[in-house]
Parts: sequence; C-alpha cells; structure tokens
Amino acid sequence: MKEVSLFIPCLVDLFLPHIGAAAASLLRRAGVNPIHHRGQTCCGQPAVNAGYLREAKKAAKHFIELFGDDEAVVSLSGSCVWTVKHHYPELLGDEPEWFRRAAELAPRVYELSQYLVDVLGVTDTGAAFEGAVAYHESCHVLRGLGVSAQPQKLIAAVKGATLVPLQQADSCCGFGGEFSFRYPDISESMVRDKVQNYLDSGADLLILCEPGCLLNIGGYLSRHHPEKKAMHLATFLVQEGEKR
Amino acid sequence: MRIATERFTELAREGVEKARARPFLKTVPQLLYQLREAGLATLPDAAAAQAHGAAIRSEAISRLPELLEEFEKNATANGAKVFWARTAKEANEYIAGMAKERGAKYVIKGKSMVTEEIGLNDFLSEHGIEPWEADLGEFIIQQMGRTPFHIIGPALNIPVEEIRDLFLAKAAMKEPTLDPVELGRAARLFLREKFHRARFGVTGVNMAVAETGTIVNLENEGNIRFAKAAPRTQVSVMTLEKVVPTMKDALHLMRLLSRNCSGQKMSAYVSMDSGPRKEGETDGPEELVIVIVDNGRSRIYQDPRAREALRCIRCAACLNICPVYRQIGGYAYGWVYSGPMGQALMPPLLGLDKTRDLYRACTLCGACKSVCPAGIDHPGLFLYYRSMDASADPRFKGEKHPWREALLFKAWGRVVQYPRLWNWGVSMIRPIINRHAHKGVIRDMKGAFGGWFRERDLPPLAEKTFRDL
Repeated sequence: MKEVSLFIPCLVDLFLPHIGAAAASLLRRAGVNPIHHRGQTCCGQPAVNAGYLREAKKAAKHFIELFGDDEAVVSLSGSCVWTVKHHYPELLGDEPEWFRRAAELAPRVYELSQYLVDVLGVTDTGAAFEGAVAYHESCHVLRGLGVSAQPQKLIAAVKGATLVPLQQADSCCGFGGEFSFRYPDISESMVRDKVQNYLDSGADLLILCEPGCLLNIGGYLSRHHPEKKAMHLATFLVQEGEKR
Repeated sequence: MRIATERFTELAREGVEKARARPFLKTVPQLLYQLREAGLATLPDAAAAQAHGAAIRSEAISRLPELLEEFEKNATANGAKVFWARTAKEANEYIAGMAKERGAKYVIKGKSMVTEEIGLNDFLSEHGIEPWEADLGEFIIQQMGRTPFHIIGPALNIPVEEIRDLFLAKAAMKEPTLDPVELGRAARLFLREKFHRARFGVTGVNMAVAETGTIVNLENEGNIRFAKAAPRTQVSVMTLEKVVPTMKDALHLMRLLSRNCSGQKMSAYVSMDSGPRKEGETDGPEELVIVIVDNGRSRIYQDPRAREALRCIRCAACLNICPVYRQIGGYAYGWVYSGPMGQALMPPLLGLDKTRDLYRACTLCGACKSVCPAGIDHPGLFLYYRSMDASADPRFKGEKHPWREALLFKAWGRVVQYPRLWNWGVSMIRPIINRHAHKGVIRDMKGAFGGWFRERDLPPLAEKTFRDL
C-alpha cells in the first residue's frame, strides 16, 4: 500500500486535532496509508513571520530531519506547506548541505486537496451533504501554492452539495497570525467583511483549507452568528450523508 | 511633510471607524482593480507583459549607477541641466534658490510624489514663494493641509460638500455648487490664471530614459504638461530609481503603468522632454533643470535584497487590492506613499525603528505581489525587514524587540527541536489557557492575545493532541 506522511500543523495538533483525524481517514479511503511521525512539532512559520530566523532555522532543520526521506508529505495548511516549500530553501541558503535537503524535499510536500486531486486523481471522496457550500480561498493556498480548482472539484463532487459563489472569496480573512491580535481593529474589520460575504452568499456552510482562517472566521461566527459554521475541507469530506 | 509613521495603529483605527471614507473604501479600490483587470486583458499575454515589466525594472535597479550617469550625459547633451541632490534639504534649497534668482513669486506644480516626499511646498512657502498644486486632487488636499489618501486620487475620499466649502472659502468660486463638473471648472479657471503668469514650473518624473536623456510624464489632467510647457523655467524632480535603460523599455512600462493604475491603455496625456525649447521651436521652457534626488535611496541600493523596493513604478495596483488598505485608507501609513508600495519603500527610507507597524501590519496575503508589474515581492520584503529589526541590524536602524518577545522565541527555538520537551510544554500550557474556557469556548483572555477576543472566540486546547488521539 502506498504511504504518505501526514504533516500536522501545530494549530491543528493543539486546537483542532479532529481535522487531522479526518485527513487520515480520507487518505485511507483513497487507498493510501497515512503515516505520522510522532516527533513533529511546528514548521517554524510563526518565527519566520516574526523575524526570528535563527529560531526558524532550528524548526526547519528538525522538520527536514523528520520528513526528509518521505516520498510524499501532506498537510492541512496552505501556509505551513508554503513555509516548507518556499521559506526553508531561503532560510537555509547559507548552509549548502541543508539547502540541498530543503530544496529536494520542497516538491514532495503537498496541501491535502492538491494531493488528493493532482497526485491520487481523486475527486469523489464518497461524502454527502445536503445544502449550499461556499469556498474561501485562503491566501497561501491560492497565491502561495496556486491551489484553487482542487478543493472546489472535491466540494463539487460531494453528493447533494451545491458550490455557490462567494464574493471576494480570494481576499484575506484578516488572520495573519500575530496580526490578528496585534492589530485587532483592522483584523476584525476584515473578518467582518469576510463573514458578511459568507452570509450574503446564502451558503449553509463555509469551507476552507487553512486552520488559521478557520480559527479566525470560526471564532467570529461563534461570537456573532453561532448558527453559521466554517469547516475545514478535510472534516467536510469525511462526513457521510449527514443531514443538516 | 510631517512624518507620522509611528502613529499607524491610531490612524488605522480612525481609518476603520471613519464612516465618511467607508463608502469610498468599499467601492473605489475594487472598481480600480476591475478596470485594471479589463485593461490588462487588452494585452495579448498579460502575464508575459507583467513579467517583462519586472525584468525591465530589475535590470534598471541593478544597473542604477551606470544608467544614471548615462542619463545625465544624454540629458545634458540635450541642453538640460542636471542637479544631484543628496538630501531633501539640498533639493529644496536648490529649487527655492533658483526660483528666487529668477524672480518667481510663485511656482506652479504638476502632480508629483517626490516633491511631497521632500516637503517642497512647505519649504517654498517658508521662503516666501507660493506653491500652487495644479492637479485637482492635489490642489484640494494642499488647500486642506492633508496627505494623499490614494496615490492617484489624493482627495478621492473627500466629500463634495467639503470641496464646495473649501472653494468658496479660498475664493476659487463665487456661487456654491455640488456639481463635480462645475467644481472642476472652478479649479481650472482659478489655476488657469496661475498658469498664464507662471515663471517657474515644478513637476515630477515617471521615467527617465538613459539612452535618450528624455523625461517622461503620464497623467490624465494635463496639469503636468502645462506646468512643463508654460513657464520659462521647468524643473523636473526625480528620485534615483526613475531611470530606465531604453525608450523601448519606457514605452513598455508606460503600457503597464496606465493599465495597472487605472485600466487605461494609455493615460490621457503623455509628455516627453528631451531638453528645453530649441532654436526655431514655438513652445517649451527656456530652461529645463532636472533635479535627481537621492534622499536615502543609494543606501537602499547598497542592500541587494531591499533594493527590490526601488523597482516600484507607483501604479497603485497594490493599494487597490490590499485588504488592509481597503479597511484603513491612505492616512494611516503616515507619509507620502500609502499601501504596500509605501510599506516596502518607507521602512528602509525612514528607518525600521520608526516604521515598525508598516512592515508588521500585514497578513502576508500576497495580493500586492500578485499584481505588481515591477515584480516586487512585498511580503518577502516585510519579512526581511522584520528579521532585520528582530536582530537589531543597524543598516536600516533595526531595534531590538521587547525582551519578552525575544525570550519567548528563544525558548520556542529551544523546544521546537525536541518533541518531548515540546509535548511537555503543551501539557503545561493547556491548563493555563483552558482555565479561561466556559462551556467549551474561550471568550476572553487578558494579556498579549487580548485583541483576539474583542470580537472572536477561540476553542480551548484539545484535551488530546493529534499524536495522542
């Protein structure tokens, strides 16, 4: 059986482990055996974003040690995948041996929907959902990895689900890691607009591929519109015939 | 112009809360963005055209010293005079000195960002020379004493009632009206008088062509062309990075600038000057003086990474698409250049210590980078500035961060390599955070994360991490 290494982002590990579990069963259903290195911690994105590159380098080296020999690595966060693919080679540019390892690993790291659709050729995961669904294009998924069609194909193939358009689907939800609490005035205003567009879309559910956006949009919904939900694509795709 | 980059958070809050600018921010940037899309679609291969623009700007900046020398040589051969100003002060003193020598009581100005940057208007006023902005938007904000809200629409956010009152107060108009065409006419008539008697004109430069010594200006109102042609002395002020290698390059950038800026295939007016009026010619200035301003840019040029910020052609596509700009508008950035273009340029120009919010108040969404015709990776630059600042790099006045933050990341760096330590850390932190949870939701937490909870909830840390499931 084909194996794929699951790269669990720390936000998922800490706050949303059920998304990781969902991804694992999705992969199993697709005929791939997910393996999980227990030694994983954090990819280093927060340190890169805050400017602490020396510390970020340590995270990068740890990650490469752990995942370096895997044939394929799949993750549930576009920005974490972007960190590994884009930032690692840059971070390790002054250490030739580490740079080589980072550059070799980069093309083998995938975002979940990208792996399912582009590598495994799966679009129908066997999921069912009665209702209208909108898709939020997370920044690093869309502009970092160029992944947009894949998750939408997966959603469209869900039995009973209708993918409806979302205004300004590709504009940032205002998370941005520390941005969200360092600049609350701007961040709140951004997530408010995102949620308004979701409400206006008439969708019953908002789907996305980034845990940061999920905490942000989900956190705003929980406070202001508790009846509306945002959900990670992995969780959405494992539910079988659930009625709303 | 007073620099207020350190007041970002406060000005951003005002920007978000100001109801007046909201209708503007909800519509105009989006509209300009759509126009841009339509404009780019008229090119046979828009992506290739953008990439070519990036290549031209990259080459121009890498070859900056030699291109500037070539430009000076050719401009001088055309009969222009070139003056090099290391600082804003040198430029201002030179221009004011020239105006005085020539007996000019006032100067007529075409729209220019560099003269905003060097604070020329204030300097001239202090030295008894009246500056008159001739671009409608610039004219309005000059009279109101404001900074530009948007680079191509400096007064786009100002309600028409305020403009009416302003024009009545400044005697630019006798009868009150809210008709924008009438208001435009009033400004035009008022300024026409200034143009007719103008002795001295000052404008900026969009491109300086090294190969031919030509300066190029693009605009939609005609004020720049008028300010270049009507007075006897024309002063064109440019910063170092405006230079491009060839006329062919300039023409390509003109196509891109117009489309990215306003969706036009070409702006309404394009003027090119290769020297002053020559023998037998009927119009143009008697003398053309080109002031090349450094004002900190050669220091940016020294840094191969930061140098990328100098590629900018000021089209404003990045502002229009920036989700932060769309919330806060142009004032929060605290100086001449707002939006991502300003966030890329102002930190190394003014110092990382004074501009911290500019490179931090960004979600790294990458929208700016995706539209930039000069190939600037704005988020990449912000990360670079953040790292220079966090390591107290002295080149652009990086400052050590608060010890708490540095300590936190140091500790994080220790733990991140050791999974057992990491897991132990998680098990230590979990009860501290989850103490705030009620009925499965955290609704409030004091301290550094407090900003999250004003409008948002957070799930508590899961009792079991994925690895323990």
